[in-house]
Amino acid sequence: MEQDAQLVQQCLRGNSSAWEELVRRHTRRIYNLCYRFTSNRSEAEDLSQEVFLRVYRTLASYRAIHGGFTTWMTSVTRNLLIDHYRRTRRDRLTDSLDDAMPKLENKESAARRPDQHAVLGELSGQVQRALRKISPDLREAVILRDLQGLDYQEIQQVLQVPEGTVKSRINRGRIELAKVFEQMGLRPE
Amino acid sequence: MSWTCEQIEASLSEYLDGLLGEGARREFDAHANHCDRCGPLVARVSGVVSGLHRLELLEEPPQLAAIILDKTLGPKKQKLSWRSAFEWLRLLSRPRFAYSAVSIADFRPANLYRAADRQVHLVYARGSKFVADLRVVYEIQSRLRPQSEPGTGLENKKLPQNSPDNPPGMTNGPQRNQPRELNRADQLHPELSVLASALPSAYERSLP
Repeated sequence: MEQDAQLVQQCLRGNSSAWEELVRRHTRRIYNLCYRFTSNRSEAEDLSQEVFLRVYRTLASYRAIHGGFTTWMTSVTRNLLIDHYRRTRRDRLTDSLDDAMPKLENKESAARRPDQHAVLGELSGQVQRALRKISPDLREAVILRDLQGLDYQEIQQVLQVPEGTVKSRINRGRIELAKVFEQMGLRPE
Repeated sequence: MSWTCEQIEASLSEYLDGLLGEGARREFDAHANHCDRCGPLVARVSGVVSGLHRLELLEEPPQLAAIILDKTLGPKKQKLSWRSAFEWLRLLSRPRFAYSAVSIADFRPANLYRAADRQVHLVYARGSKFVADLRVVYEIQSRLRPQSEPGTGLENKKLPQNSPDNPPGMTNGPQRNQPRELNRADQLHPELSVLASALPSAYERSLP
């Protein structure tokens, strides 16, 4: 984290190599955050570009004493994801019929090929489908905690909600996710 | 007092993340190990969480970082090196290029001699024309010089002088009794007449 703060300082002094290093260090994490939230690789790619553009423009506003660069960048990403979620809400309402199809396919494939479900790539797809079934509030809490590895305090900074709310959302999100897995006939362990 | 099922469900994530104190953890275990409802719930959620933690980050599209850098820093300029500067020479060594070059070029001795002879004559003709032009220019200049030397008027002009009170380089301002610029149109007429008289003779001399 300290290295990120140094890189930011070098960026602000006009060192383009430092910016390149920051981009390379965080691209994968930001892309994953966007993908887990949108479930769409193309949208995740576009949003990742938007995130870095915004970070580049507002880099001077980052203060290391207020938290880690990762947390700050996650906050920027989360704000963009919320904007994106609101923009595309209408489109998603028409997708409700499409959601039913993967559910049936999953049950069928679970009965036919149970041995292959241990493969991590498939687990990733299952998690993605399950994440889409829970509410955005709970989804983002689970993604930040269990897929991005942020601690409770960092999540509190990103979401700008009290600590009790963070704990409650993570807890309910995990329980909801476990229920969805059960309904889909999947066992992630 | 042992915990209720609601307490177990509310503290489940803190338990899994190791955030419960020693006493609370003991109470949690005591209830979960003997409750038909809470035991399976803890096992299911624990399985989901460990499954999520096992997931590795997906690989981003390979060109994503480059696109981001292009959008933020601008397109990357290609570095010019000696190797890239002489890259075109590599083309010459390719068999296809060498074959086509040989097929186009004519290496017969008679043609080579003819081409060289033509080049020599061309160079000689251009050189002699250049010398003749120079002679005309010098002749005109030498005719003009005796007229222009006494007519410049610069030796009679009073140049602005530095004032002793002002720092070096500063003058007393514009000289109101002197014209700011010499009217060169007045001097043009005698020079044109000399030029007109000199041109016919110079042209005749330049003819072979």
